[in-house]
Amino acid sequence: MTTSLPVTPTLSRRGLLKFSLGASAFLATAGLGASLSGCSAQTPANDFITLRQGDLPILRALIPVVLAGTTAAENLEAVLHRLDNKLASLSPAMLKLTLQLFDVLALPITRGPLTGIWGGWDNASAEHIQAFLLRWENSSLNLLQMGHASLLQLLQMAWYEMPESWAHCGYPGPPKI
Amino acid sequence: MPVPDLFRDGIARGWKTRDASRLDQDLTLEADIAIIGSGAGGATSAELLSAAGFKVLLIEEGPLKTSSDFHMLEDQAYASLYQEGIGRMSKDGAITILQGRAVGGTTLINWTSSFRTPEPTLQHWASEHGVKGLSSTELAPWFERMEQRLGIAPWVMPPNANNEVLKRGCEALDYSWKVIPRNVRGCWNLGYCGMGCPVNAKQSMLVTSIPATLDKGGELLYLARAERLIHDGERISGLQCLAMDERCVNPTGRRIQVKARHYILAGGGINSPALLLRSDAPDPHERLGKRTFLHLVNFSAGQFKDQVNPFYGAPQSIYSDHFQWRNGVTGPIGYKLEVPPLHPALASTLLGSFGRDNAMRMEQLPNTHVMLALLRDGFHPESTGGEVQLRSDGSPVLDYPVSPYAWEGVRRAFHSMAEIQFAAGAEAVLPLHSAGRYVKTLGEARQLIDDLSLELFRTRLGSAHVMGGCAMGEDPRRAVCDSLGRHHQLANLSVHDGSLFPTSIGANPQLSVYGLTARLTDGLIERLVASR
Repeated sequence: MTTSLPVTPTLSRRGLLKFSLGASAFLATAGLGASLSGCSAQTPANDFITLRQGDLPILRALIPVVLAGTTAAENLEAVLHRLDNKLASLSPAMLKLTLQLFDVLALPITRGPLTGIWGGWDNASAEHIQAFLLRWENSSLNLLQMGHASLLQLLQMAWYEMPESWAHCGYPGPPKI
Repeated sequence: MPVPDLFRDGIARGWKTRDASRLDQDLTLEADIAIIGSGAGGATSAELLSAAGFKVLLIEEGPLKTSSDFHMLEDQAYASLYQEGIGRMSKDGAITILQGRAVGGTTLINWTSSFRTPEPTLQHWASEHGVKGLSSTELAPWFERMEQRLGIAPWVMPPNANNEVLKRGCEALDYSWKVIPRNVRGCWNLGYCGMGCPVNAKQSMLVTSIPATLDKGGELLYLARAERLIHDGERISGLQCLAMDERCVNPTGRRIQVKARHYILAGGGINSPALLLRSDAPDPHERLGKRTFLHLVNFSAGQFKDQVNPFYGAPQSIYSDHFQWRNGVTGPIGYKLEVPPLHPALASTLLGSFGRDNAMRMEQLPNTHVMLALLRDGFHPESTGGEVQLRSDGSPVLDYPVSPYAWEGVRRAFHSMAEIQFAAGAEAVLPLHSAGRYVKTLGEARQLIDDLSLELFRTRLGSAHVMGGCAMGEDPRRAVCDSLGRHHQLANLSVHDGSLFPTSIGANPQLSVYGLTARLTDGLIERLVASR
């Protein structure tokens, strides 16, 4: 799981390695913590197939930022259900990775240090969320880059699969046959 | 007028099809030939074997979806017709891998481009990989037969505007370009080949070889994952399958035991080597799953004054091989230039960035064209491809490191695509990279591309062509199968799919799979008849 590390002037390779190991431990802890935290946290929320109660505030905060400039925020619950359906078709291995990503974002012990969102998702400002996304995009850690790419891909696809999004992007929809 | 659903009509006539998700008890099935995978390789083999009088059982992991299920909607198509619900990617998450998973395999969702295996590729296999008897001349009769069988011919209608850009740009620069041969009959030019053809015009396995197999009394078992081959190191004695739920996500707990005289593995790249890995198949020289190739793809977007409407019309009809062989077969990496169709969901993830940047790019979708470069991996010593591995749950994942050799090609391809797009009249060009932005002149584009830090994740990478992993060749120390598709160690096992390719193809691979597996199947029939 290593990729080429961009050389940054502020962080030596050694420092980077330490940080990298620390973050991996964090992620492992998060996965473990989440799996130990009882069944209730791992069961899907009411009306959802895969998404858990704890995932919803994160996604409700992310959607208006990731999909800013669209009307996704006005269709928040529909986007959540579309995403839920997408996740329900992933292989168990990919679903597990995705839910672990949400765990990392949900648990205060990992959320603060890794995202810079210290006070909970409900109160996070758009600026803070943008900063978190850019930080992960530019991270030298494969896991965070992958997390960033997955969040964007899942939310963008969920939204643009919905007919509600098509007017904005000039797509008339499939032809009648 | 509603389009007739040929497949449902066939089932009504009494075809033997079985939905494993509905099994309420375990099952044992017997056949002369068990074929794992119903895509280009498996279905082609099935048609020929059943025509020769063998009792064929065709086993597919994915669901059965037919023309009346195809509504040209991305959400439905991606969830039901693609591997891992379109979530398949390289192990590090940086390369999206599009592969089909339904009755008909990837032929159900490919963009219909059909090329014979290029002659330099076949020559390279013979000289470098010990492949025997598969020269262009030797394969020609099988290519011709499959072209006739599947209606493969250069596209006669004018290209859509998205493809027209590639043609216009190449013409302006005096670069070579050609019309793509497509496997269609009575095509409506809709543009939804990637979501299942709603009018049965695409000559996928769903409307050709699978119906022919079922007409001859063959049997189809779907939503059944081939989990493990039982063997003693020399022969296979059985195949264990797991019934999958309706979504094809989790096993239901029901099992299907399959007994056959001969087994054909045709799950495609990644899945075929994975089944052998799960089965602890003999692999004395550790070749299994190695040298898996992707035709790694990078992309360049262009904005045009006139509408392109890249979501409509035959998705691929023009290609350029101008940069494919010019540096020799084994020189710096060559690439084929084509275009992808752009429906909103796929386009949104391709175009990159998030928030207002992504929204603004998406607002321009009707005026956006995208070009892609298929990098011909596997021909140079530094291009060794990836390795199929098993996750802890037994599912496969491809570890594919991108070599410096390939990155150099990615950069050259960005340059070529920007040059062609501007020559075709683009107002602005955007190399699909996180540091990319729309720039208005070729000079600016060249500077931007030269400055790009080419790394995983920053560069948008994809693949729709997984090849290799069960490479063929006469030397068992270097190959998994011989040039007849026979497994080097397991006597009653053949591999008939793209995982046999010792390198990538250098062209969209479907016709390579059809032609090669038709030839291999004819050879297998002769051997089976002789030993009957």
